[in-house]
Amino acid sequence: MTDATLSQGHAGPGFGERLADALLSGRGIWPAVPAILVLMIVAVIPFAILLSLGFSDIQISRGDIVSQTFSLTHLANALSDPLYWITFQRSLSLALTTTALCILFGYPVAYLFLTGGTWTKRLILILTIAPLLTSGIVRTYAWLVILGGRGVVNQTLMGLGLIDQPLRIMNTHWAVLIGMVQIHLPVMILPLIAVMSRHDRQVVEAAENLGASRLGTLRTVILPLSVPGIGTGAALVFTLSYTTFVVPQLLGGGNYLNAATMIYEQVVFSLEWSKGSVTSLLLMVTCLMVLVAIALVTNHFTRWTKGRVG
Amino acid sequence: MMQGPAGPLRDAIATAPVLNIGGVSKRFGTTTVLQDCSLDIAEGEVVTLLGPSGCGKTTLLRCIAGFWDADDGTIAIDGRDMAPVPVNRRPVGVVFQSYALFPHMTVAQNVGYALRMGGVARQKAREKVNAALETVSLTGFEGRYPAQLSGGQQQRVAIARVLVMEPRVLLLDEPFNALDAKLRGTMQVELRQLIKTLGLTSIFVTHDQEEALTMSDRIAVMRAGRIEQVASPDEIFDRPATAYVADFIGTSNFWDAKARDGQVALPDGQSVATHLDGAVRVMARPHNLRLMPPEKGRWRGTVTFHRNVGPLIEYHVETPGGATIRVATMRQERSRPIADRAEVSIAVIAPASCAVYPDA
Repeated sequence: MTDATLSQGHAGPGFGERLADALLSGRGIWPAVPAILVLMIVAVIPFAILLSLGFSDIQISRGDIVSQTFSLTHLANALSDPLYWITFQRSLSLALTTTALCILFGYPVAYLFLTGGTWTKRLILILTIAPLLTSGIVRTYAWLVILGGRGVVNQTLMGLGLIDQPLRIMNTHWAVLIGMVQIHLPVMILPLIAVMSRHDRQVVEAAENLGASRLGTLRTVILPLSVPGIGTGAALVFTLSYTTFVVPQLLGGGNYLNAATMIYEQVVFSLEWSKGSVTSLLLMVTCLMVLVAIALVTNHFTRWTKGRVG
Repeated sequence: MMQGPAGPLRDAIATAPVLNIGGVSKRFGTTTVLQDCSLDIAEGEVVTLLGPSGCGKTTLLRCIAGFWDADDGTIAIDGRDMAPVPVNRRPVGVVFQSYALFPHMTVAQNVGYALRMGGVARQKAREKVNAALETVSLTGFEGRYPAQLSGGQQQRVAIARVLVMEPRVLLLDEPFNALDAKLRGTMQVELRQLIKTLGLTSIFVTHDQEEALTMSDRIAVMRAGRIEQVASPDEIFDRPATAYVADFIGTSNFWDAKARDGQVALPDGQSVATHLDGAVRVMARPHNLRLMPPEKGRWRGTVTFHRNVGPLIEYHVETPGGATIRVATMRQERSRPIADRAEVSIAVIAPASCAVYPDA
């Protein structure tokens, strides 16, 4: 409560008014209170439940937990199970490959946005944001039409006489990778554009004036200055693709096991909640480890932003 | 005596302009931003492009630097046409309005950038960087990042960064805009002295007439894409070629008059010679006018306002016609300024210094 409201001893404003005042004052943590409450309910409490389930033996009867005792068995089982190692390795390499490809394909688009005229900029923004307006499931199904046995890709290749039989793309690692890159590309492009257009246009001109070629300018000025954007984009794309469920499930044909689909199997089909909880926790911890690594690398390349005076 | 080419050849070398701008025009869509601009700049000369925003001065600067191509006309440096030369190969250094320092590089890296791009050997580059930093008195700041420098220091880094590439022409785009008023005055004098010491052929772009008068050997006053007058600061100030220039530089009084038989009668009874005939506009600077007791002159008026401008007092005198004439007199220690609402008469001190322009 603020000093002003305390000093008004008699017939002060009502509780509702004081609450509104506190929320709108912009002082202390008051404005963040609604978000904190929501996060408590939808994130912190479920996470606590997840932790307790993962580290205990439970007995379920008719969908209710009837007994729960502390145990490290599930964690030990998971860590000694080769299937876990293979699955997490696959998830990690899929997510890292997706992230790398998104940087590779997204960076030129952001560069085009930086150097392009008004209409180029508009077109890039529309094409980047439009896919985000449709559901990920719809976009993933679209790939079925394109990559399927009678899909556009195979029809075209056969029509050109390059292949005799349809290539098997659907339900393979490649289909998953293609889908992942397409789905997550906008999430890479947008932070890149945000960071790159924040910098003074004259800095690029200064580099050219001082004798740098286009490639030299890109290498020595534009690229180093866009590292924070690459870092943000990489963190987002990695998190989303490491934990993704829809794309591997649909394009992998239901037998592509990554960490998320593994959790789905354990919780929904086998009803092994403790096992699912442990897998979830492992997914979260490994994800955080990679995020920390990304942050460290980004910080290393943006040391110049530290130590500013006044 | 020095040996060298004799006669006409020597004169040709001595007078050949470093930068030659010939009939340059630039259009964006249907808008003409530059129209037939011509300007020659000699070795070591400092020329200012002066004009209000939107007059095309920055456009001309960008055309010289090569960021934009001129639609018509030629830009040549040392007689070489710059049209086919890309921006990164022109012997032109630009100091940007925002300085445009590389925020991710230290002072030394910023200053050494042109050398790095030019493939200069590391040891040689380091010597040149040190020399440039010494020139702008920034020795000891090598390891700092631009964000750790003050505005004035950033400007000096921007200048050092351009100096190391030894440009034939130095372009400065409103370089003092980001500095506060007091520092601006100091930096103007410092930069002028530095440029003259190094003998750099330079073009300044500014909308600030004081800056132009401080910095320049010659001033090119621009108006709506054209160069209106090119002359020394003294000449621009004392003999502005057009009413526009007179109005833009310094304070001016204008009034309408009639020219007859090569003479224009001034309101105080004196007259000024002119080659014009018919309706004209006459311009007198405030310091070319003086105030007298009302009964001593024919050009009567009432003081409506006065203010102190440094060592001068500027009076606003309303004449019966409704015009306000500004008169500047030296401040004198013992006499008090003339009170507002006092009746006075105005006299022209030197009629020949009044300018006569055709009626627009």
